[in-house]
Amino acid sequence: MFGYYLKLATRNLRRNLGLTALMIGAVALGIAVCVMTLTMYRAMSGNPIWWKNDVLYAVTMDFWDPQQPYWDDKPELPPEQLTYRDALAVFASDIPERKVIMHKATGILSLDGKQVKPERVTTRVTTKDFFAMFDVPFQYGGAWTDAADTGPEPVMVISRRMNDTLFRGENSVGRRIRWNDNEFRVVGVRDHWLPLPTFYDVNNGSLEEPEDVYIPFGWNAALEIYSAGNTNGWKPEDITSYQGFLDSENIWIQMWVELPDLAAHDRFRNFLDNYATEQKKAGRYQRPLNNRLTRPDQWLVDNDVVGNDDRVLVGLAFAFLAVCLLNTVGLLLAKFLNGASITGVRRALGASRRQVFAQHLVEVGVTSGLGALLGLALGGLMLVGLRALYTVDPADAGGTQALAHVDLTSVATALVLALIATMAAGLYPAWRIGRIPPATYLKAQ
Amino acid sequence: MVSWNIRPIASALWRNRTGAILVAIQIAIGLAVLVNAVYVVKQRVDKISRPTGMDTANMIFAVSAGFARDYDYDASWREDIATIREIPGVKAASMISNIPLSGGGSSSGFQAKPGEATPEQSIPGNTYLVDEQGVAALGITLSSGRPFEPQEILPPSETFDSASQAIVTKAFAKSLFPDDANPLGKSFFDGLGKPIAIVGIIEHMHGAWVGWDKLDHVVLFPRIKSGPSSIYLVRTEPGRRDAVMRDMEAKLGNSNPGRLLRWVRPMDYFIHQSYLDDRNMAIFLTSVTSALLAITALGIFGLATFNVSTRIRQIGTRRAVGARRLDIVRHFLVENWMVTTAGVVVGCAGALAVGYWISLKYELPRLDLYYLVGGVLAIWLIGLFAALQPARRASAISPAVATRTV
Repeated sequence: MFGYYLKLATRNLRRNLGLTALMIGAVALGIAVCVMTLTMYRAMSGNPIWWKNDVLYAVTMDFWDPQQPYWDDKPELPPEQLTYRDALAVFASDIPERKVIMHKATGILSLDGKQVKPERVTTRVTTKDFFAMFDVPFQYGGAWTDAADTGPEPVMVISRRMNDTLFRGENSVGRRIRWNDNEFRVVGVRDHWLPLPTFYDVNNGSLEEPEDVYIPFGWNAALEIYSAGNTNGWKPEDITSYQGFLDSENIWIQMWVELPDLAAHDRFRNFLDNYATEQKKAGRYQRPLNNRLTRPDQWLVDNDVVGNDDRVLVGLAFAFLAVCLLNTVGLLLAKFLNGASITGVRRALGASRRQVFAQHLVEVGVTSGLGALLGLALGGLMLVGLRALYTVDPADAGGTQALAHVDLTSVATALVLALIATMAAGLYPAWRIGRIPPATYLKAQ
Repeated sequence: MVSWNIRPIASALWRNRTGAILVAIQIAIGLAVLVNAVYVVKQRVDKISRPTGMDTANMIFAVSAGFARDYDYDASWREDIATIREIPGVKAASMISNIPLSGGGSSSGFQAKPGEATPEQSIPGNTYLVDEQGVAALGITLSSGRPFEPQEILPPSETFDSASQAIVTKAFAKSLFPDDANPLGKSFFDGLGKPIAIVGIIEHMHGAWVGWDKLDHVVLFPRIKSGPSSIYLVRTEPGRRDAVMRDMEAKLGNSNPGRLLRWVRPMDYFIHQSYLDDRNMAIFLTSVTSALLAITALGIFGLATFNVSTRIRQIGTRRAVGARRLDIVRHFLVENWMVTTAGVVVGCAGALAVGYWISLKYELPRLDLYYLVGGVLAIWLIGLFAALQPARRASAISPAVATRTV
């Protein structure tokens, strides 16, 4: 029976090509816009470390200006970064299972002997737990040791991409690289890794690609490294040396901890509060006690990683899909009613309502299936166009280039959603046509 | 007298209401989206096209990053600036600490009186360190005062940026001294209480962050940016920008092995990048809204076509008993207008609701009612045009159809 309905459906679709094209086009356009917008939204709002959401915490402490909070619009939140001295003091705690203090810097990479042109690279100055904590994959080698952090030892982890450029993809563990003209030894090559958004540092664009180079945190003081991200201060201070900068109230360090259970969480909270209370006695931390441990999902919300534009676009996409579906329902209804005299004959010859309904539903299925296929192709094209819109300079790494990595799950989700919606939209016309009393259409007209 | 036959048309419509209701809902959504999309796009376009106060079309930036241990920053930037100033077509070249309108920069709080300041008394300014050619290289207009003199330019300071003199924008001076029409020569103070004399006032200039409402609060200090990386700002004669960029790359690219000439880029690159999200939002909203209206128009067209095709005999009969072609066209247009108007009424409420939501999200003023009026007129027109062709086809039906059996 199904095969026969399918044949009928294709014949009906061919009978009125203009109308058919209109319907399929409407479904396709609706699905395409939804696929595109949802992909974009997911890239910006997903939690890329959801499997560790219960154990990872961003550490923030409120020591800001007693006169005014850090955030104008969210006065209850502490600043999103820490001062160098606070970060070091809190890092000394052994309560967390893993802990990381870090910031972004830039450096010039060069090799001895001029085989490659010096290249400017984004660099994460961090502690060794960064890799284990965020499940960073390695192609060769691995993270450095605890001793390398404080030493600091001249060790370095580079990205697979950088390894491809510098060493043509060979295992480069043990090779020497110069970073700002200081010699480092490669201990690990980070494999492809693209957490979207880059939750661990939300300061400068959350769709940046992760850094190409990682060096131990201890190098800050030794090489006088400044942050290439945001540095913010509230207190007028006369800073005359790098050491003065390290001791200042400027914030530029991000801190994350891994706390395996609630007990550890509470103990670490206590530790933070005790530290802040101690500092209060010394004249700092003049704001009400407000230390926070924030999980990744809440962290992304607090830091406005999902902008207002994105929410408006998602609303628009659904309005668009609604119009497309309404359109399809209207056109299907018109089409089915147009063919009502034939349906009347079928009913008179003994087809049950259920059979008429099933037959029309098959036609709806064919229409929406074709629409969905076309919509997917169209959505892909739109994403290519979108990438072009966001690419300022193709040679530039980072930026919103990360949008290039469309993940299949979100496309599949949008597609299934749209297919179901279209099928649901087709239910009413199919049902309606089955309700028509055959006699009406067997009359003279 | 023309009879519009509102009642019979309405009752005929009511008998076949499903299709009409579907189209009316589409129109309602279409209107709500259209009005608000136009409103948001207008805001973005206004934002992007604000005057910057600078000669952006002829400006170039280049970044040189010294990395060698024996890199001599002071000698290098002096040599680079001298080289650049000799390139034909260069009007002015200056060292600068950050790139205006690039989304990266430095800001500090300043005050009209020294000492403790409340948050309201602390006036933020986008600060830039420039040399004696800075004003000329930015292409800004001084409404009073003078540019910096060569002997006033201070050497690099590792950490703290202010100087004892500054050139500031009118908007910044107005925030500091609201009652003083021309504060040239007056002093203001940095957070540490150090006095800074105003030697020049800029008519208008944009600072670092395009989303900041203090974008036009700019303070220029006469100082060389600290190393080891330097930013060169170059202004060329009109039309020579690209040629000068090529010359700069050729002359600076390999002149010094201790540094990397990271890039040479036109100012437009940074402006484009800073407004990328706004521009893309405008493009996206415009295209999706147009597609949505097109689909709605197709829906109206489909409904009208369907209505015509199911009433061929009825139309023939009306023609046979004396209705003119014009009456038939009018019938379908009025019918269609009723559907459109029903949608528009619901859509107005929807537009206001969406507008309210958007004004909360973006902290924008409430939707202007002109937009709503314009939207309603546009939807009426679209509806009229979408139904015109089916209505004319209906009027072409021959009266003879009425006499046929099938």
